[in-house]
Amino acid sequence: MLEDSGFTDIVIGEAVDTFGGATGEDKARAFEVYGYAFMARRPA
Amino acid sequence: MARDLLVDPDALREQVRSKYREVAVDPGAGFHFHTGRGLASRLGYQADAVNTLPDRAVESFAGVGNPFSLRRLAPGEKVVDVGSGAGFDSFIAASQVGPGGHVIGVDMTAEMLAKSRQTAEALGLGQVEFREGLAEALPVADGWADVAISNGVINLCADKQAVFAEILRVLRPGGRLQFADIANGRPVPAEALRDIDLWTG
Repeated sequence: MLEDSGFTDIVIGEAVDTFGGATGEDKARAFEVYGYAFMARRPA
Repeated sequence: MARDLLVDPDALREQVRSKYREVAVDPGAGFHFHTGRGLASRLGYQADAVNTLPDRAVESFAGVGNPFSLRRLAPGEKVVDVGSGAGFDSFIAASQVGPGGHVIGVDMTAEMLAKSRQTAEALGLGQVEFREGLAEALPVADGWADVAISNGVINLCADKQAVFAEILRVLRPGGRLQFADIANGRPVPAEALRDIDLWTG
């Protein structure tokens, strides 16, 4: 979707266990939900 | 041509406002996600940066990742924080860009805006301001920003293409988008994707 929107140079960081230990953990585990950092650039 | 969205954007916004209004005024109430200093530590924020902030700047933080983990902001940069909440990431950004930079936090929830503005005033941060607005209609001029940041917000927007198009508009050519958000490794059933209650709960 980032590429479709016109961004380039896309970088994705390591997965982070955002919901571990929270009450939403079970639902997150069911769908393998993790947090990620993303970086992209508007073309010059 | 209108896109086929999974849920009604206005209904979703109202649900998000309701949830995050509670996070602003009663951050210790207990939610399905972590909040506050413990969350910031879990997500890898630098302790020295977080420790300098007062509780009111951190307690309502409810991000899902660390937008600064792939690149630290540079002094003097102009930054838009899309869905700035109570301002935690905006304050971290302000510390990185310094007094020569500028940070505009944009949020749609009145209680979050009030809290972030009061904190900015208490901290005496002249390089930070907070504006009311939507991720799909940012109150920022074309090409103003060197960097757009966001944390756990875009997944709560019904029309993600509209959000990315709006971020592209406010970035200068060559500007960067640095954001954190959730992604699922297993597919979510179609009926669940259209259940608005599951978007925020």
